[in-house]
Amino acid sequence: MDSEKPHPVSNPYLAGVMLGLTLLASFLFLGVGLGASAGIARFAAFAEGCVAPRHVASSEYFGAWGSNPLSYYLVVMMAGTFFGGLFSALLANRMKMRVEKGVSCSRGRRMSLALVGGIIVGFASRLAGGCTSGQALTGGALLLTGSLIFLICLFAGGYAAAYPLRRQWHD
Amino acid sequence: MIETFYAREALQSPAAFLTAFTIGIFFGLSLERAGFGSSKRLAGIFYFRDMTVLKVMFTGLLTAMIGLSYFIALGLVPPDGVYMMPTIYGAQIVGGLIFGVGFVMGGWCPGTAVVGLASGSMDAFVFLGGAAAGSALFSETYGWMKPLASAGEAGVKMAYDGIGTSKAGFAFAFTLCAIACFWGSEYIEKVRSGKGEYFNTPFLRAFCVAMVVAAGGLFLFPEATTSAGARQTATAIDSPSEIALLQEIADGKDHISPVELADRLISNPSSVMLVDVRSAEEFAAFHIKGAVNAPLPDLPAVVSARPAGAIVVLCSNGMVHPAQARDALDRLGYRDVYILTDGIDGFIRTCLKPASLRPEPVSVEMAGRIRAWRAWYLDEGHAPPAPSAASAVSQARQTRVISAEELAGMVGKPGLKVVDCREQPAYNTSHVPGSIRLSIESLRGTIGGVPSMLLPKELLAAHISALGIEKSDMVVVIGEQPRDATFFCMALDRLAHENYAILDGGFGRWKAEGRPTDSRLPEINAASYGVSDGADGFTVSFSDVLNSSKGNSAVILDVRPAENYRGEKTDEARAGRIPGAVNRPYTEDVAASEGYSSLKSADDLAKAYAAVIPSKNTPVIVYCRTGHQASQTFFVLKHILGYSDVRWYDGGWTEWAARQELPVEK
Repeated sequence: MDSEKPHPVSNPYLAGVMLGLTLLASFLFLGVGLGASAGIARFAAFAEGCVAPRHVASSEYFGAWGSNPLSYYLVVMMAGTFFGGLFSALLANRMKMRVEKGVSCSRGRRMSLALVGGIIVGFASRLAGGCTSGQALTGGALLLTGSLIFLICLFAGGYAAAYPLRRQWHD
Repeated sequence: MIETFYAREALQSPAAFLTAFTIGIFFGLSLERAGFGSSKRLAGIFYFRDMTVLKVMFTGLLTAMIGLSYFIALGLVPPDGVYMMPTIYGAQIVGGLIFGVGFVMGGWCPGTAVVGLASGSMDAFVFLGGAAAGSALFSETYGWMKPLASAGEAGVKMAYDGIGTSKAGFAFAFTLCAIACFWGSEYIEKVRSGKGEYFNTPFLRAFCVAMVVAAGGLFLFPEATTSAGARQTATAIDSPSEIALLQEIADGKDHISPVELADRLISNPSSVMLVDVRSAEEFAAFHIKGAVNAPLPDLPAVVSARPAGAIVVLCSNGMVHPAQARDALDRLGYRDVYILTDGIDGFIRTCLKPASLRPEPVSVEMAGRIRAWRAWYLDEGHAPPAPSAASAVSQARQTRVISAEELAGMVGKPGLKVVDCREQPAYNTSHVPGSIRLSIESLRGTIGGVPSMLLPKELLAAHISALGIEKSDMVVVIGEQPRDATFFCMALDRLAHENYAILDGGFGRWKAEGRPTDSRLPEINAASYGVSDGADGFTVSFSDVLNSSKGNSAVILDVRPAENYRGEKTDEARAGRIPGAVNRPYTEDVAASEGYSSLKSADDLAKAYAAVIPSKNTPVIVYCRTGHQASQTFFVLKHILGYSDVRWYDGGWTEWAARQELPVEK
C-alpha cells in the first residue's frame, strides 16, 4: 500500500456539500450544530481535574461542568471526528507521520508556533463560545449575527497576522 | 415533525451520544476528504495560495443554511428545535480576531487538528495540546475575563433582522456573495499558483446555478420572505391608527404597573377606574379593593360612564383578555385605557405579599409601602383568595423559614401541622395552639452499629403517621434551637415531604411577640404516610466521604466547635478531623436575641458561605459529631442559600473516629 501514492483530495465543493449535509443532519437529529473546541476544553477540564480535582471543582468555569466533564455530546462527537478522519486518511493513503512547514522554517520553530497558536485558539474559542466549527460554521449556517461577526473577525485577525508569520509556511 | 434531542432536553442520553458520534464520523470524513488534514493547506488561504478553506466552508455553510431553511419552512422541524447561540458582540469580535491570529500561527483550528492528528500530523498533536492548555488558561482567568466574555450580550440575534431584510432575501444575497467568492478564489489560485482547476469549468457553473436555484426557492415560502418590521405592521399597512396602537404596545404605554396602580387608587381614587373583567364568581371571591366588575361585552358602556379625566385600568388573572379588550376599546376610540401588568396575581405578588415571605431582599422603604398597601387593600371583605395553609406557604417554600406573623395567619387552617421539638415540660406548659410535640431523639437510633443515625424512611413514616401528618400537609417546625427544627427537616427531606418550613425564632419569638398559646393537647387522627423506594440522595456514607477527601472533589465542612476541629477536644474514639475538612462552626450561623435564637439573615449567611465555598454548584459535604448540628448547616446551604449539591454525613465524627482505618488530620 505504501508504494501507492496518496490520492488527490476531493473536489472542495463536493466535500463542502458533504460537510453541509453533516451539519444539517446535526441540526435535524441533535438540534445543535457541530463543535470541536468544546470537546478539547472538556478534555482539558478532565485532565486538570486529575491533577487538582478540588481546584477544578471549585473553579467557576470548568467547575460548572461537574465531576465528569467528559460526559458530553461534543466530546463524543470529537471522538467520532477522529475516527472519521482516520478512516478517510487510511482510505486515501494519506496516513503519514509528519510535521508540515515551509522549507525555511525549522522543526522546533514550527512546533513552538503550533503550540502557541493552539493556546491562542483554545483561549479564543472559550471566549467566543466556539471555534470555526461551533461558532463560524454552525452559527453562520443559522445566520446568527454574532457568529457571522466572529467569522469576519477570524479572517481579519488571520490576514493581519499572516505577513509576519509567512516564513513558517513559504517554501 | 422532527423532535430533536435538544428539544427533548435529551442531549445527555446514550442515544444522543451515539448520534453525535456518528455525526462526528461524517464530520471527520468531510474534513479529511477536503484535505483539511494538512496545516499547510489550511494556512494557504491567508497567503492566497490555496483557497480550499473558503470553498469548503462556504459550501458547507450554504448547504446547511438552505437545507435547514427548507425544513423549517416546510414545518418539518420547529424553529425552536435547534439551539441558537446568543450574540455577544465584545466576546465574538475579540475572540474572532485572536482566533484568526492563532489559526495562522498554529496552522490548525480545533476540528481540523483532530483530523490532522488522526492522519499522523505531529504539529496537530502539539496544537491540540496547546488548545487544551488555552482552554484551561481561560478557565483559570475566568474571573478577569468574565466582563469581556459577556460584553455586548444581545441575546439571539438573526443577521437578517439586524439589517431589516427577509430571511429568504438575506440567504439569497449571501449565496450570491459566496458564489462570487468561489469564482474569485479560483481566479486567485489560477493567477497566484497556476491551479484554480475549477475556474470557469462546466462543473463550477452548474454548481453555482444549483446553489442559486436552491436559495431562490426559499422565496416560495411567505414566512421566509417577510422582514421583522413587516411582520409587525403587516396587518396595519392601511391604518395609521393601528400603527400608533402598535407603537404604544411596543413602548409599553398600554400598561400600568401594580405599584403605580396601588398608589394611585389610594391617593386619588377618582382618577382611575379599575375594571375587573373576570367572571362575577371570581370577582366575588376576591377582587382588588376599588375595582368594578364588568363582563367584556359591557366594557364600552362601563368605560363611557367613567368619571371625567379618569383613566381605565383593565385587570384579570392573566393579561391576554385585558390586552385584547384594551385594543378593541382603542379601535372604538376609547383612549387612556391601560392593562395591569401581570394581572391580579402580579398585583398580589408585587404589592400585597408580606415582605417577610419574599425570596428577594426588600428595602426598608419598600417594606413600609407594602405594609401600607396591605393595610389598605386587605381590609374586611378583601382578603386575598382564601389560601389553604399549604398553598399560602408554598410560596414561602423557597425560603423554608416563616415568621411568627405568617404562622399566626395559618393556625387553625386545614392542612397545617405544627410540630414542636422542644422539651416535653416546656411544651406541656405552653405551646402554639394545635401543635404536636415530637422529640427529635425519637427520630434517630443505632443503624449498622453507628449510634445517633437518622432512622430509615419506613420507621420515620410510621412515626410521622402517628403524628397525623399527611403527605400534602404544610408542616411548620418549632425548635428550642434552630438545629432542633432543622434536624426534623432532615427527616422530612428523607421522606421527600414537600411543604414545610421552620418557624423563625422558634417558640421563644412566638411568645415574645405575644402570640396566642395553649396548654391543651391536640386531637390527632393517625395518618398513613407512604414511602417511596430508594435512598434519600443526600446522605453519604464514610466511604463516599473518604473518596471526596482523597479526591478533593468536594468541600468538606466540619461544623463542630473549633476546638473539636483542631483536635483539642473530643468525645469520641479519636480527636481531629476528616483530612481536608474546613471548619465553619454551626454556631456562627445563629443569632441570639432575648429569649430566643434564630438563624442569621440570608444575606449574612450568603456572604459567609461565599467565602468558604467557591460556587453554588460546588459539591459540599457537611458533618459534625452526630449529624444534629450539621443538619442546621445543611438546611442553611440547601434550603436558604440554594446550594445545589449539599450532602450530609450523618455518621459524622462518631463513626469516622471509631473506624481506626480512616485517616485523621489534626
